[in-house]
Amino acid sequence: MLNIVKKTALAGALILSAGAALAEYPEKPIEVIVGYSAGGGTDVMARTAAPFIEKYLGDGASIVVKNMPGASGQIGVTEAANADPDGYTLGTFNLPGMMARTIDREADYDRDSFSYLANVVNDPNVIVTSKSSGLDTLDALLAEAKANPGAITVGMSSLGGDDHFALIKLQNATETEFTIVPFKGSAPARTALLGGHVAMGILNISEVAEFQDQLNVLGVATNERSQFAPELPTFKEQGLELVNGSMRGFIAPAGLPEDVQAKLIDAFTQMASDQEFLDAMAATANPVEVVAGEEFRQLTSDLYDLAKGVWDTTPWN
Amino acid sequence: MYADLLNALPDVFSLANFAAVVIGVIAGIVVGAMPGLSATMAISVLVPFTFGLEPLVALGLMAGIYNGAMYGGAIPAVLLRIPGTPAAVATTFDGYPMAQKGEGGFALQVAVVSSAFGGVASAFALMLLAPPLSKVTLLFGPSEVFWVAIFGLASIIFLLGGNPVKGLISACFGVFVSVVGSDPIYGNDRFTFGQLEMLDGINIVILLVGLYALPPVIDLLETPLKTDGVKSSKLGTEPIWKALPRMKSYWKTWVRGSFIGIWIGILPGAGGSMAAFMSYNEARRASNTPETWGEGEPEGVAAAEVANNADTASALIPALTLGIPGTAVAAVMLGGLLVHGLQPGPMLFRDNPDIVFGFMWQFLFGAILLVVLGGSLATNSFARLLNLPRPLLGSVIIVLMLIGVYSIHGRMFDVYLMLGFGAIGWVMDRLKFPLPPVVLGLILGGFAEENLRLALRIGRGDPMVLFQNTTSLILVALTIAVIVGPSLKKRFTGKGKAQ
Amino acid sequence: MPASKNHRLARPETLTAIGIILVAAGFLIPTFDMRAISALLPATMLIGLILLSLLLLLSDQRKAGAGEEAKPMTGSPKRVIGAFLLIVAYALATDFIGFYVSTAATIPLVAWIFGYRNPLGLLIATVIVTGTIWAIFDFGMSQDFPTGRFWES
Repeated sequence: MLNIVKKTALAGALILSAGAALAEYPEKPIEVIVGYSAGGGTDVMARTAAPFIEKYLGDGASIVVKNMPGASGQIGVTEAANADPDGYTLGTFNLPGMMARTIDREADYDRDSFSYLANVVNDPNVIVTSKSSGLDTLDALLAEAKANPGAITVGMSSLGGDDHFALIKLQNATETEFTIVPFKGSAPARTALLGGHVAMGILNISEVAEFQDQLNVLGVATNERSQFAPELPTFKEQGLELVNGSMRGFIAPAGLPEDVQAKLIDAFTQMASDQEFLDAMAATANPVEVVAGEEFRQLTSDLYDLAKGVWDTTPWN
Repeated sequence: MYADLLNALPDVFSLANFAAVVIGVIAGIVVGAMPGLSATMAISVLVPFTFGLEPLVALGLMAGIYNGAMYGGAIPAVLLRIPGTPAAVATTFDGYPMAQKGEGGFALQVAVVSSAFGGVASAFALMLLAPPLSKVTLLFGPSEVFWVAIFGLASIIFLLGGNPVKGLISACFGVFVSVVGSDPIYGNDRFTFGQLEMLDGINIVILLVGLYALPPVIDLLETPLKTDGVKSSKLGTEPIWKALPRMKSYWKTWVRGSFIGIWIGILPGAGGSMAAFMSYNEARRASNTPETWGEGEPEGVAAAEVANNADTASALIPALTLGIPGTAVAAVMLGGLLVHGLQPGPMLFRDNPDIVFGFMWQFLFGAILLVVLGGSLATNSFARLLNLPRPLLGSVIIVLMLIGVYSIHGRMFDVYLMLGFGAIGWVMDRLKFPLPPVVLGLILGGFAEENLRLALRIGRGDPMVLFQNTTSLILVALTIAVIVGPSLKKRFTGKGKAQ
Repeated sequence: MPASKNHRLARPETLTAIGIILVAAGFLIPTFDMRAISALLPATMLIGLILLSLLLLLSDQRKAGAGEEAKPMTGSPKRVIGAFLLIVAYALATDFIGFYVSTAATIPLVAWIFGYRNPLGLLIATVIVTGTIWAIFDFGMSQDFPTGRFWES
């Protein structure tokens, strides 16, 4: 009964929103649902980007950030996926996490539930080793891993995240085997590395930038050197094909009116070349790499296929 | 570094920055004193708001709230037996009996002076010893942290109450609640029944409000005409400097509690309630009259309150240097730092000395301000609230419980969960099941499990990894001492008396 | 509860112990589907609860056998149940019809039902509490409370 009421209401809202879209968008505040608490990396990205999106949408657009923390962002993204596609509810989106969650647990959304606006942050993975491990080059690390399969302990944040996929790519590319120690988050993993409790770590570049003197950073998983820390070499330079990272961006529910979607993507694209925005993101340790619209959708789809492939061969839970 | 410390001082005294600390302390005391509202909740509500503020104004507010709330939590703990914050649970042990004896005013004065002492000690630790103390944190890997958790769990023995069977049931219940959520290693659900809201586990505030605040509210409504045992006239409005001489003998407890609080603070995960429990137990163990503890011993209030403030600033040491917060509140504050582009790490102190050291000064002044603002102003005005008619007081607390729990994640699910715990709490309260083991079990159970399993992974399944270094072995020895110590001491003192 | 004199099983502690055993046994079922290492801690705690509750049950029954009367849990069960139901109703009302409406109604209602009936006092208390919450949370910190699912969409 309640469901029917809801559905009718939803249909009504759809008709209304279609009507609204014809008028000048946006004519009321736009809500951005962030799946993490205030002060987290994704929240800081959303709040830093908000004034710039307002600026490029023009017409006195206003953005309200709403935090819906829980279940590693899944609560928030589910809410965004199921919101009315009228352009007044957007959400933040994390990769590969949001796609991996559709594989390793039940999720009320999939890759087709969204209108892809723009990915804003790409925080590449890095491989680091503790000073006490003595493994201070990539070659030394790989030689040790080949000699003693499983002997190297790898601290990282939870299974099914970008760190984990980077390790799987590494293992497949080099035919090595490591012992995974999944901490709750990157900071505890990094601390265990600093204390020498684990030998190696897979983290993100923004997380090690401040700790370069205390850890051996062996390489960055990007195609070209990261703007964020250009002094660090890539794996490609060292002859290893390893590109992986953690991404954060913005989505809207699927079925957004085309003109609204175009306007939003346009705003994000303009923001990408705003120096003031880039400076603000650099100050909060967010390496920016904007990928908008169709390309973002393709990127998500590729990541889903990757995660699915990994899950089918080596499920992690 | 010490020059940076002094250079940061003038900025702290700018009008806006200093006012932020004062407002923060007052707000913190109020939040802490409201049953249901906690420091974690207050600061998380504040974080988005601080985007538009100057860094030191934002951080001053947070430092003030943190210090204020850790004391404020003692007010309802003493007057109503409802700990205002999780860290104030141990304050109820002797604080409430004191209030019933008509010494509530003195209990609160002890609480405020002890809180300020702990806060000042902690702020000094943060200002002067942050780099060396963060090295201590690094010594604690998963196996060492596992032993810390076991050490903490061992102190449950002292919290079992008169009937050990009931006490152990409470402890098992607490530990069981701690495993609800996603598995710490594999991430699959345990006892969540498909509810996404339960994946992150059950927040301590939800359990605490349910168990500790609901039963007293039901009491207030059950016997509405009973005249309250605590009259504000009995609170004693004696000025604080006149009460100070009576606290002279607590200095050992203060120093011990400060050390415990600072130590627990620099270890990530456990936080204020464990510091308060441990300080309370150690002080009781050292006391010549342990039998008076739990019956209204002011030194018990001192022990609990000094420790729960002593971990405030020290919890920021691992947060600022390593990015791993020592308490739930410090975790939220870390968010507040990130908002202002302050990335934790060794560079932080070099890149933003004015802000980081200014923030430390604010912690120090926040702790000192407690005595001025908490001592007279807050204590007396809050005590007066208790003269409200009981049904009215009850209905107001119900509203506070709802907003406190709702605001943690902004969802009603948590409120329903809290009511469920409330029903359990009422039964436990009436049948005299002790509540502290539930709280300690929830805090330490999952924490112990997670670290045990991480340690076993590091050892690739070999349990000997748990005994491989000195830090672990020291902790094992301490744990054994806590468990068998009391019986040995009994034998020893028994002989002493026989002589 | 006078009935407890007659029925040995109707004693509060006995009932609680039986309740814990049943619930713990129920929670034990999902542990069979978990990995051994995931199930270890929860299963240990649940078995511990069951064994401890059995002890509690036995000691309470022994007391019953000795003719010791169980203390009732409350002198006024109606008030306790009423208070609890009112609190639950308040939470439901907040969820479905909104926080401010429910709060403004609940404060005077609860206080009135449980014996504080001064109309001026009720009015002042309601206005002060609701107003302060609005001023601090909504106005000051732009914190949203539920507006009521019933009115949505």
